[in-house]
Amino acid sequence: MARAAIIVCWVMAIGLALFLIAPLLVIAAASFSPTPVFDLPLTGASTRWYGRIGRLDGFWPSLLLSLQIALLSTAISLVSGTLAAIAIARGKLPGANIFATALVSPLMMPGLVLGIALLQGFRAVGFTAPWATLLVAHLVITLPYVARTMIAGLARFDFTLIEAARTLGCTYPGSVLRVMVPALAPSFLIAGIFSFLASFDNYPVSIFLADVRTKTLPIRMLQYIEEAPDPTLAALSTLILSGTVILLFVSDRVVGLHRMAGTSD
Amino acid sequence: MSEAAPHLVVRSVSKRYGPTTVLDHIDLTIRRGELVTLLGPSGCGKTTLLRAIAGLAQPDTGKVELAGRDITHVPPHKRNVGVVFQSYALFPHLTVAGNIAFGLKVRGAARREIDAAVERALSLVKLGHLAGRRISALSGGQQQRVALARAIAVEPDVLLFDEALSALDRKLREEMQVELRRLLQDVKATAIFVTHDQDEALTMSDRVAVMNKGRIEQLAEPRELYLRPASLFALNFVGLSTRIAGTVLAAGNGKVEVETKVGRLSALGNFQAGSPVIVAARPEQFRIGEQSEANTAAGRVRSVVFQGSRTLVEVDAGAGESLLAELSGRDGAIPVVHDEIRLSWPVTETFAFPMEMQA
Repeated sequence: MARAAIIVCWVMAIGLALFLIAPLLVIAAASFSPTPVFDLPLTGASTRWYGRIGRLDGFWPSLLLSLQIALLSTAISLVSGTLAAIAIARGKLPGANIFATALVSPLMMPGLVLGIALLQGFRAVGFTAPWATLLVAHLVITLPYVARTMIAGLARFDFTLIEAARTLGCTYPGSVLRVMVPALAPSFLIAGIFSFLASFDNYPVSIFLADVRTKTLPIRMLQYIEEAPDPTLAALSTLILSGTVILLFVSDRVVGLHRMAGTSD
Repeated sequence: MSEAAPHLVVRSVSKRYGPTTVLDHIDLTIRRGELVTLLGPSGCGKTTLLRAIAGLAQPDTGKVELAGRDITHVPPHKRNVGVVFQSYALFPHLTVAGNIAFGLKVRGAARREIDAAVERALSLVKLGHLAGRRISALSGGQQQRVALARAIAVEPDVLLFDEALSALDRKLREEMQVELRRLLQDVKATAIFVTHDQDEALTMSDRVAVMNKGRIEQLAEPRELYLRPASLFALNFVGLSTRIAGTVLAAGNGKVEVETKVGRLSALGNFQAGSPVIVAARPEQFRIGEQSEANTAAGRVRSVVFQGSRTLVEVDAGAGESLLAELSGRDGAIPVVHDEIRLSWPVTETFAFPMEMQA
């Protein structure tokens, strides 16, 4: 019986992994399609769709906008989120748990609700500059990832390390830089990656704040697929996918993927 | 005579956290090369005193002088102290050698000098073969040694140990106590240990300061502390004892006659007649039968605990009082439970303490 149960579990593990990865394999295969129609099985391979990505209407401004927003919101979230996490993990802040829950709460909110709420809120206070509203909205998206990761990282951080560094001859700011920052580097990296990806990938919040000239890449991609569904989009998706895989692979080399997935300590 | 010159001087240091007085006008003078333990229960102020010396806590009043320099307002990084923390506080992103080199690196020492110092410190704690290891790959005992090597490498004026051995298991801790004392004597270090473990205090120190409620109750060599406790608290905190309450009947010449529920006892002490006191004696002073110049009391054996080289016998002396005797078995048979026996112990080893000092 126990043997049968183990086999069922094995089948589940392998089956689910395939189920999750299969669409990604399909889109990668489709991107090399020699014909303009997504069709399997493939008859031959072509890379011409990759060459057409850059010629898509409005592609470069959208890519640049998405990168700008993702990088900036991640940077701001990392600094402010870490300081807030220190207050929660260490600062004997009254009601620290309530603040921790508040900081992480946007994660549990549907993106559409968040998007509508932000749109209404910004309108109400007369804040309508699209680029700036996008950045502020993306802070709401990225901060919870940073706060969650840094609160967990700081909970494991022994603040005695800073005292140890001070008695060994470091000034207080020096101790923070030489001991706390490197010791928390894995947490920073994990927080940064999740934050960047969450922003770069976001559609439901951005769609409410974008205008004709200010469109993030996900919005632009949805527009392409409505206008002309050819493998160019599959090629672009495959590139984004490859970029993500490389990012995760490098991070794994540095800190270990198991820590990022949270499946082990 | 530099051996006897004061090296670390704590003058009337006080510290309050809100309504709690953690340190109450502490005075402490330590000579160069001396190993001193601050011993006391949690909350007695011993760790705060250590942190005040390290510069990690700022005293409200008083002065701290180290190696002839007033360091009361000097920040920790300029004090030249070495601290071994209870959690070891090793830097997880650095190797063993990286941890030990840390203090010298931030001091801007030359590369060759750092390498030599790291090697010296590693060989001192016998970890030369682990220089390139990550901290997470070390056992608790090894981490303890790295923490010690890191503190020693900067050649501090004083080494401070905050419950540094308490995380080790009993056997390893006892080995480390002896080894650490020898090592510190070899390098002629001046050191202060903070601990709540009386065995650790007696084993490692030249002198022990027993602390209670932010004050030093007694500062003495381990032997004197045990044989001549200055207060009921010191008596209770270090070693076992028999304690019997009574009232002084007569006094004179540093001796008192005390009426107790187990009979009239003589003890050392200066009190007015009528004072309520606690009469106390160490268990190893007790003998079965009579002896000259001795107090005696009789009772029924309640328990016999064999502990290898000694046997602890608890005797119910009636009226709620009990006697604790340590018998070696050499001078007679060890009694068994329910035996009626008479015990005696020398008057010169019997002490009287004021009743109100009982904490």
